[in-house]
Amino acid sequence: MAENVLPEKGLSLYRKVRNALLGGLTAVAFVLAVTPLLAIIYVAYDRGKAALSLSFLTTLPGGFPVGIEGGIANGIVGSLILILIASLLSVPVGVWAGLYLWDQSHTPLAKATRLLSDLLLGVPSVIWGVVGFYVFSTNTGYGFHWGFSGLAAGLTLGFIMIPIVTRVTEQALRDVPRSYIEGALALGASRFQVVRGLAIPAAITGIGTGILLGVLNVLGQTAPLIFTNYYNTGIPKNLVGSNGSVGDLAMQIFIYIHEPSKGLHVKAMAAALVLTMIVLLLDMGIRLLAWGSRKYAQRMG
Amino acid sequence: MEPESPALPVPKIEVKNFSAFYGKTQALHNVDFTIYERKITAMIGPSGCGKSTFLRSLNRMNDFFLDFRVEGSATLDGEEIYGPAVNPVLIRQRVGMVFQKPNPFQKSIFENVAYGLRIQGVKSRSVLSDIVEKSLKAAALWDEVKDRLNGSAFSLSGGQQQRLCIARALAVEPEVILLDEPASALDPISTARIEELMQDLKDRYTIAIVTHNMQQAARVSDRTAFFLDGTLVEVNDTTKIFTNPEDPRTEDYITGRFG
Ligand SMILES: Nc1ncnc2c1ncn2[C@@H]1O[C@H](COP(=O)(O)OP(=O)(O)OP(=O)(O)O)[C@@H](O)[C@H]1O
Ligand SMILES: [Mg+2]
Repeated sequence: MAENVLPEKGLSLYRKVRNALLGGLTAVAFVLAVTPLLAIIYVAYDRGKAALSLSFLTTLPGGFPVGIEGGIANGIVGSLILILIASLLSVPVGVWAGLYLWDQSHTPLAKATRLLSDLLLGVPSVIWGVVGFYVFSTNTGYGFHWGFSGLAAGLTLGFIMIPIVTRVTEQALRDVPRSYIEGALALGASRFQVVRGLAIPAAITGIGTGILLGVLNVLGQTAPLIFTNYYNTGIPKNLVGSNGSVGDLAMQIFIYIHEPSKGLHVKAMAAALVLTMIVLLLDMGIRLLAWGSRKYAQRMG
Repeated sequence: MEPESPALPVPKIEVKNFSAFYGKTQALHNVDFTIYERKITAMIGPSGCGKSTFLRSLNRMNDFFLDFRVEGSATLDGEEIYGPAVNPVLIRQRVGMVFQKPNPFQKSIFENVAYGLRIQGVKSRSVLSDIVEKSLKAAALWDEVKDRLNGSAFSLSGGQQQRLCIARALAVEPEVILLDEPASALDPISTARIEELMQDLKDRYTIAIVTHNMQQAARVSDRTAFFLDGTLVEVNDTTKIFTNPEDPRTEDYITGRFG
């Protein structure tokens, strides 16, 4: 531990006051920043603890009103399915687009792509939902007639995710110092080798964060689901067609809270706690993965 | 200075009527210049006079600036560096480069040196180990790092990192090594080590170095070129440039009258 080399009494009054003020402000900012997370966990736990148990995670909703008995297995499975579909679409497309924007940053096509992608970031999710409805779900729409289904919702969510992943991937690559890239090029590396072996590993934490941001966004969406999937109290066998809807945690919370039933409100808050925990776990998982792949890249060529 | 070898020097890189442009700005004007094999050629001149542009033109590192283009001729062993059929990647393997700021990769010391070989497809651990050791020895770094080859390159001091970058460049066995102010970010002791190292390397490599430090140019180089505003003012034996320059502008610069 370092000794405090400046004796307190040697400081002028002005500096003492200033230090105290700044220290106080920092403390306030810290408290304001962490309080919401603690508040969420506390409220969700306090209101939902009566419903919490292991079987809450593993059983389907039952009883009347539906959900008063049983758990949220439908929501957990459904949310994971939606994340998976959305990621399968958006991660390859978004990472590729981010790479392209970084590599070709000054070409007119890249500038246009960046502009459009940024515009998409600002499109309200309810609009994504309605367009997803017309394109993927309804029989009277444009091409796909998948009904209210996991596939329609997963793809809609995937399209919401693409601009997020794209933007963050490009930024993460931009943060890789140019001198670093030049060092490899000067050794006779091809652009592809530089991208694969150096740029992506150096940017992997940022790219992982981008994917995570996209996934978290998807986990919290309800508006697009209302139009493309709605909800399912069971676990579907298909992801398209009239029985293709999946459960979803956010929708489940939304629906339960709207029911005039104290019991369902408790279940909703228990589900909220589970959703928050899934988010925190995913966050940590991504960080671990990024860390691991960086270690790996350090050893490999 | 060691005595000049009696044999005639062999041209390695010959540049004729060479101009370089970034978009509409012309950074080099009609440069004529020869870099001889197994000699150290120093390039001096005030900031912005085109030294880096010239150096980076020789291994096509400026290709990555979209609006960069060149005119005139630059040849490596008689072959046009900017010839239409030339693969710039192969040029960069033959003409290595060390930058002003040490830029090791976020990898182990071993992997930093092995990188250039790995991208050429060398997989054999024993071949890699041999070359890594040889390169680190050639860069006078082996003794300091031999016990921690798997440690991060970032744990080295700035001077060690720069020698690591030199080792990394040597590992792909280039014929020419370009150094762009390789010691300007280093302390005097590390600088001295780099200068010693250049003398060792000179027996096997052709070396071109950009430096802001006139004493350094005088100490290490056989020939010195003075650039001003994108033109080559004068190039000659280093002793001649520093004792009896032909152009008054060279004299002004080395006596510190401008720049
Ligand atoms: N990427 C670039 N785009 C446009 N102009 C550039 C670029 N790089 C260099 N220039 C210009 O070209 C000229 C020569 O620059 P260069 O970097 O070759 O000078 P230098 O002699 O290496 O200078 P220094 O000693 O400061 O490194 C300068 O006028 C500079 O502004
Ligand atoms: Mg320069």
